[in-house]
Amino acid sequence: MPIKPAHPHLYSSVSLEVAKAKLGHAGRKSLNAPLNLVAYIDMMTMLVIFLLMSFSATGEILFVQKNIVLPNAQNWAELERAPVIGVSKDVVTLDGSQVATADDLMKDSNTGDFKVTELHDKLVTLKNNYKLLHPGEEFNGIAIIQSDKGVEFKVLKKIMYSCAVAGYQNVNFAVIPKTKAAGPAGE
Amino acid sequence: MSVSVDSGDKGGKKSVNADLNLVPYIDLLTCMVAFLLITAVWSQLARLEAHQKGQGQAGEDTPPEKQFKLVVVVNDEGFNVVADQDQQPIPKKGTEYDYEKLGTELKKLKDSHPDKGDVQVASEDQIKFEILVRTMDTALTARFPDISLIDAGGAGI
Repeated sequence: MPIKPAHPHLYSSVSLEVAKAKLGHAGRKSLNAPLNLVAYIDMMTMLVIFLLMSFSATGEILFVQKNIVLPNAQNWAELERAPVIGVSKDVVTLDGSQVATADDLMKDSNTGDFKVTELHDKLVTLKNNYKLLHPGEEFNGIAIIQSDKGVEFKVLKKIMYSCAVAGYQNVNFAVIPKTKAAGPAGE
Repeated sequence: MSVSVDSGDKGGKKSVNADLNLVPYIDLLTCMVAFLLITAVWSQLARLEAHQKGQGQAGEDTPPEKQFKLVVVVNDEGFNVVADQDQQPIPKKGTEYDYEKLGTELKKLKDSHPDKGDVQVASEDQIKFEILVRTMDTALTARFPDISLIDAGGAGI
């Protein structure tokens, strides 16, 4: 193979002169292709509008737990920040930590006392913490019960009683809002 | 990344085409989409308010002799609407509770006592939570905003 002096080339069959001519606008047709951005901007605008409409300033107060199926309700109000008591068919939790089992609550108490001790104590602690952190504010006594729809009232009444004894008189039940013509009720 | 605006006038000497710079707009949209996707709340949950105000407890301003007591008892047979001394049993329709008739009865009572805003829902132990929620929802629909959930044993019926 003969040795040739160095010069710009791609392959032996493709001369860079052709590409150079095209890139340098020396060719007949320009290689610049404008991008059509209209469809992209339309899509982004629609996405922003949809996300803005579903935006909630309060954030996520309740997380749906896998073992809890919530009931539906037509007359509902917006959620507020409050201690969340999760009641599934197996376990009772307060803000995610277990405080009792359903088997314990289904048993009849020998003394006739409905109070769930651990739940009551933790609620009292939360109430005291609230009063320490908000000295000027009145304690509203709201607790949210996030219960499975198959749970019996026997379990719920013990939880509600424990809440009432601990100072949480206003019990709210978490529900899935059913759409209706009017907006939220009670506000 | 630009979009040209053509005036449509071809008769002038100088072109009036102008390029819109869309880069900042696309940047803004991308940032907004990212922020909104991160902060989006996908599970829409709400609350149903209930009080634990039993008979004769603090918080009842009206003297007991003037009170018109309205209780909806929920048991295995169906509902029993107790308005003072009158009782109106609403049996189940097959295996289902008759919420429609309960709503009608409560609306009648609301029409005859427009000032009455509170109702007690008294449940037996074995009643499921879903039935109680639907009962309270029916009472709210009948314009009784102040609902108390109590034990049927303690309702004094």
